[in-house]
Amino acid sequence: MNRKVLLIGLGICLPVLLVLGFGFRHDPQIVESPLIGQPAPSFRLADLDGNIVDLEELRGTPVVINFWATYCVPCWVEHPLLMEGARRWQGEIHFLGVIFQDDPDLIAQFNAENGTWGPSLIDESGRVAIAYGVYGPPETFFIDRDGTIVDKAIGAVSPEQLLNVASRMLVQPAAATG
Amino acid sequence: MRRVTGIPAAAVALLLAALPPTAAALAQSQDAGPGVDQPPAEGEYRPGLGVEASRELGDPQGEPLSGEELDRAVALVAADIRCPKCQALSIADSGASSAQAMRAEARSLLASGYTRDQVVRYFEQRYGEFVLLEPRARGLNLIVWTAPAATVLAGGLLVARRLRQRRSADEDLNAYLRQVERDDGDDGDNGETET
Repeated sequence: MNRKVLLIGLGICLPVLLVLGFGFRHDPQIVESPLIGQPAPSFRLADLDGNIVDLEELRGTPVVINFWATYCVPCWVEHPLLMEGARRWQGEIHFLGVIFQDDPDLIAQFNAENGTWGPSLIDESGRVAIAYGVYGPPETFFIDRDGTIVDKAIGAVSPEQLLNVASRMLVQPAAATG
Repeated sequence: MRRVTGIPAAAVALLLAALPPTAAALAQSQDAGPGVDQPPAEGEYRPGLGVEASRELGDPQGEPLSGEELDRAVALVAADIRCPKCQALSIADSGASSAQAMRAEARSLLASGYTRDQVVRYFEQRYGEFVLLEPRARGLNLIVWTAPAATVLAGGLLVARRLRQRRSADEDLNAYLRQVERDDGDDGDNGETET
């Protein structure tokens, strides 16, 4: 009888423990993006000065798209890194900021005080954020020369990830571009 | 607004200095690179800003909706889609700006003739299966669908078995009691005969 109870207990507990063990290995806040390996959704957006940026026309050059806002603390944290990245790879990688549900005036004020690492694009309807499946700022998408999303950062991008992915995108041969 | 003090600039520069400089870095300015047009004149209308979801979705497979029919279709789709910034709330139930934007996108697509399945698939392709409030019955999700029924079935079988065991035990006990009564009767008869 005791052996039977033990077996039943194991039969109930083991699957639960396996599910928990599998679950605890993943951060529940991080949802894998199905867009990695897929073509980046095209968009045309105006920056704070009214200049239009068309992603399609940037094909052939790697692009880093960062969805950010002034109310987002990790966005402040990663700002110096993006500044340094944009300076370091000027002309080699385009850095684009897409404003995520924020007041363009606050963005302009932030940029004036802290500097900019790329155009701050106004996504008034939020459709670009939807097309990229953005859960909340900051999220950073890395797009290679072919226009394919090769990686994504959720939360403040780390120097290691920026360096690794940028290096990977830069060594991709230009002949591979469509 | 205070100045940003994030990752120390020296550490950032040290990490990024791992790559050698290139000639392109010195030759081209990002702000005036390709893909960037000149600012519009005041009052100039510039259509086509944003993103074309139709490019991702292909051709509409339904009829364009409007009026109450459109409202009903939007409500049905919105009830199935999880608000990405909320805890277990659909975009129909959430007042978050993300949910509002997603409802507006669903309305726009449905009004253009995209079907409910196409619109749901569009959100799923962007956000992943997590955005569906009702997970699809496949892979590990099957546990979610089958576990409740399996648990009820297992519980039912356990209860049935216990009841059967109890009934069997009762029958054995009754048979035993009947036997004891019979034996007592026999003993009584014998006693009277002896006395």
